Amino acid sequence: MRSIWKYIKRYWIWAILAPIAMVGEVAMDLIQPQLMAEIVDEGVLGLSNGGVSNLDIVLTTGRDMILWCIFGATCGVLSGVFANLCCQPLGGDLREEAFRRIMSLSFAQTNRFSTGSLVTRITNDITQIQNMVMQCIRGSFRTLLLFLGGIGCMLMLDLSFGVVIACALPLVAGCSWYFLRKTAPLFTVLQERLDRVNSVMQENVTGARVVKAYVREGYEEERFDAANEELIGTQLHILELFATMTPLLNIVLNVSVVAVIYVGGLRVQSGGATPGTVMAAITYVSQIMNAVLRMAMIFQTLSRGFASARRVEEVINCTPSIGSGSFDGKTDLRGQVELRDVSFAYPDGSGEPVLRHVSLTVRPGETLGIMGATGCGKSSLVQLIPRFYDATEGTVLVDGVDVREYDLHALRDKVAIALQKSDLFSTTLGENIRWGREDATQEELEEAAEVAQAAEFIHRKSDGFDTPVAEKGMSLSGGQKQRIAISRAVLKDAEILIFDDATSALDLKTEAELYTALNRKKGNVTKIIVAQRVASVQNADRIALLEEGRLIACASHRELLRTCPVYRDICRSQGKEGEQVG
Amino acid sequence: MAEQKKQAPVVAPPGMRRGGRNQEVEKPKSAGETLRRLMGYFGHETKTLVILLTSVAVTVQCTVWAPKLQSSAIDRITEGAFDRLPGILEMMLVLYAVHSVATYSQSLLSARLSQSVVRKMRRDLFRRIVHLPVRYLDNHSHGDVMSRMTNDVENISNTISQSLSSLVSGVLTLLGTVIMMLTLCWQLALLSCVTVILTVLATKYLSRAMKHFFRKRQVLLGQLNGNVEEMVTGYRTIVAYNRQESAVAEFEALSKQLTKTGIFAESLGGSMGPVMNVIGNIGFVIIAAFGGWFAINGTISVGVISAFIVYAKQFSRPIEEIAQLYGQIETALAGAERVFAVMDEEPEQQTGLLPMGSAGGTVQFSHVDFSYYPGKQVLFDFDLEVRAGQKVALVGATGSGKTTVVNLLMRFYDIDGGAIRIDGTDIRDMDRDELRRGTAIVLQDTVLFSDTVRNNLKYANPAASDQAVERAARMSNCHEMICRLPEGYDTRLSESGANLSQGQRQLLAIGRAFLADPKILILDEATSSVDTRTEQKIQDAMTNLMHDRTSIIIAHRLSTIRDADLIVVLDHGRIVEQGNHDQLLAQKGRYAQLYETQFAGKAT
Repeated sequence: MRSIWKYIKRYWIWAILAPIAMVGEVAMDLIQPQLMAEIVDEGVLGLSNGGVSNLDIVLTTGRDMILWCIFGATCGVLSGVFANLCCQPLGGDLREEAFRRIMSLSFAQTNRFSTGSLVTRITNDITQIQNMVMQCIRGSFRTLLLFLGGIGCMLMLDLSFGVVIACALPLVAGCSWYFLRKTAPLFTVLQERLDRVNSVMQENVTGARVVKAYVREGYEEERFDAANEELIGTQLHILELFATMTPLLNIVLNVSVVAVIYVGGLRVQSGGATPGTVMAAITYVSQIMNAVLRMAMIFQTLSRGFASARRVEEVINCTPSIGSGSFDGKTDLRGQVELRDVSFAYPDGSGEPVLRHVSLTVRPGETLGIMGATGCGKSSLVQLIPRFYDATEGTVLVDGVDVREYDLHALRDKVAIALQKSDLFSTTLGENIRWGREDATQEELEEAAEVAQAAEFIHRKSDGFDTPVAEKGMSLSGGQKQRIAISRAVLKDAEILIFDDATSALDLKTEAELYTALNRKKGNVTKIIVAQRVASVQNADRIALLEEGRLIACASHRELLRTCPVYRDICRSQGKEGEQVG
Repeated sequence: MAEQKKQAPVVAPPGMRRGGRNQEVEKPKSAGETLRRLMGYFGHETKTLVILLTSVAVTVQCTVWAPKLQSSAIDRITEGAFDRLPGILEMMLVLYAVHSVATYSQSLLSARLSQSVVRKMRRDLFRRIVHLPVRYLDNHSHGDVMSRMTNDVENISNTISQSLSSLVSGVLTLLGTVIMMLTLCWQLALLSCVTVILTVLATKYLSRAMKHFFRKRQVLLGQLNGNVEEMVTGYRTIVAYNRQESAVAEFEALSKQLTKTGIFAESLGGSMGPVMNVIGNIGFVIIAAFGGWFAINGTISVGVISAFIVYAKQFSRPIEEIAQLYGQIETALAGAERVFAVMDEEPEQQTGLLPMGSAGGTVQFSHVDFSYYPGKQVLFDFDLEVRAGQKVALVGATGSGKTTVVNLLMRFYDIDGGAIRIDGTDIRDMDRDELRRGTAIVLQDTVLFSDTVRNNLKYANPAASDQAVERAARMSNCHEMICRLPEGYDTRLSESGANLSQGQRQLLAIGRAFLADPKILILDEATSSVDTRTEQKIQDAMTNLMHDRTSIIIAHRLSTIRDADLIVVLDHGRIVEQGNHDQLLAQKGRYAQLYETQFAGKAT
């Protein structure tokens, strides 16, 4: 809560003005019944005038009431505006701060939060916090004022009404407290069960082919029914609790009204009160009881808001685990990568190392291929170079300098990486490529697309580079997405170019043309190519072979064919035995 | 009756909150028809419905009578007839007791009724979706289908549970109150109507103004959510290209705009309460002032004023409520329309009853024509015979119709002309479930369920023993990987499957197909993310498993297809060549060309 408080303080003027304006609104609510009593007692019954009615009093008091009404409403509207002037920017600030923070976290950290949870925290949780703050400065304050003011006014009317309040209050409070305690945990259960129903549904919609192929419709129906029954059960349980609570509270309230009339009757009989007072007291007693009920509702919002605040704070207070160094990246060497005895395990994985004692140097301008079985650590290795993760042991050096000493921005400027899963953003094709270098000219853009073999299909689109990318690149084939991602990497003027299985969906002809163009245009750039197909890397200067996290060989295609049985095996599995390098 | 009288629960459960004024109202297309179908769901609950409506009527009766009693109690006090007070108060207590009991039965029954309707509706919808043809799901956005289950059914559920009794009691209360007011003092009753007119006018104008801002806010909120989602999922690329700053700038611009719109929208929305309050209070003043005047004239007693104050409140609440409910009901009906639209879709038809037979699994396509959309034919006069025990590879460029062959064989789609036969029986005459049970497929986009690894493997064959599961896992080369998972075979896969790489997911899907022990095995780009040596091992295992049975393989990797008994080259929905690897290379035709360009990687 501490860091949220910091943000509230920025808008303290509005946070204070809102409750102040609220006082005006509540004052109206409290004064109305008294004016009403005056109309009855003085105007109609003429109690202090010896039983002679006075129409003037009725009219002037009526006018006062209308004035009070308008005053109260103005205050109410203002209070709402003030509260929103505090809450909305507050939510905006939190949202922006959380987003800014996420953009500085390491992958280990974002993985731990998970994408879905980060999205909810920035959207839903912020709204919950806004509601909570709103409730604090408006709702709960109003309720408290009505509650205290109501009690005060009622006691001022006649102290004996206090007996009624003293009896009824604990009952109402206890009752609402009891039901709140019982229902609160049920809401969490409800959410879980709802998620369960939705996830069964989701799996059946996306996996329809598999469900049908294995004729498991009956099983899925049972699975769904079970989830549905559970959800309905919980929902019904909650509704039943409320169905019990509402009449119970009603009866307490209504009995209080009867008690007020009874007590009032006695007081009028003894001459201590007037009929108008009894009428005003009835209004007050329901105001007080309502305040208690609303308090219960506010507690609910508050506890939900607190939970959200904790979740957002978790993000805001998360210190990036990969800190930036100070080295500005100006080196004489350009494009050298060195791994010195590097071991690596994913921070929250099973703890088993993915890379074990890998040492390897890539010289400037060299092309290095990396191969190995599924899960051998190929991708993990290249992700250490732009410091997506930090090595658990050993050192990664770029241009002779430890990557941890670099300013992160400077380090990542040296490296362009095209990833296995190519992320496209919902803007135009051209803008997606321009992510590589924002100030690139249209010619440079076209040239990059040309190198990546993407120009042809882009030009075939009706709007060329201005064609918008549909949601998650659904309008593009896998190979087209990969070529856009490669264009982006090529456009970036980096010393080191990394393809992390980035050409897997291209046919070999296109791939070969890509590499030819790449060598022509980017001959002096260091290239690291992770691949599964021998053809993708056979022209590389050297090929590094990983097996279960260890570097078992690193030499040219020809050399490996001669010396390395594993490599020969890979080639054989791809029908490349004895083939000469073309 | 006192002020707290409200049908909705005091504390609204999450997702069950009243839509109210701030929600977009959607209009149903044919409200009458939808309403009739919705009513059908209540059909079996006539008894509950009757008791519920009786309870509502009783509650309303009490609500309407109570102020009258209260009024005469005040009058007795005014008159000084204190000895008659206890009698009236006793009557009030009895009335309140009855009221509470009736409220209890009303809320309880409406909860049960609404939940049983929703349970049935959700069930019906799911049952229909499970049996929809694949064609439907291929042609409709999954998000859209999902939202019918989540948003629409939820919406209907809330509306039913809230509005059913609210609506009935609202109307009854309104009627009762008006009658009571008219009998007590018709002049004052008519004056009270001023508030009604004011309420209606204020609601109308304010909500018109609010609509603009709320719509704008909704759009911005959608954009913001989309932006966050995209930036967070694409975070790797953002970091790789040092784009954090511009991502933040873009987000901030959106966020600032949202904040601004939020202030306007919420302030307008927030003013609704005070304005309604002021209208209520004006009604209060009218009653007090005119009531006072009438009382002085002797037309009415003081007690009547007291009763009118309560009635005026009772009077405006149902109007406000019904105004709110109206929008909510419209939205819910529109949702119900969408739900019924799915339910009206034709399910897959069971055509044949013939068994699949115990013979080897010879697959024969003869003169098959097929198109997904009329006028865009995908397969032309497709003729192919695969003998039992053969391994067939389908090769061809994207869009040549490879996957279509699988869709037709599994009867995900039905052919337009010709016939597909297995062991001589037309698959349309065959029991569809048996056809599918005898055929296992592995798809490129791996589908795993959020369940344990073991249950995922056993999906096709729930009766399989643990040994059989392990054997299948070993054959698909994923046993060791499974053993490395935190809880081995009992590790739960997360929904997003983030704890496994794409290649590992493919291995699991292959293991699942192996465990199914099928007569026909289809692999559609099933090893595209698996390295070639692992793939080789799987292929060897497959050869053992399938040696007298049929396998069909689709791939663009040479290593996957080279060993096939028969390679079929497809081009634009026609078979252009078939034979084994060596034969086809010798032919120097399309396959040889494809081999040169696609597989060998030499530029032509």
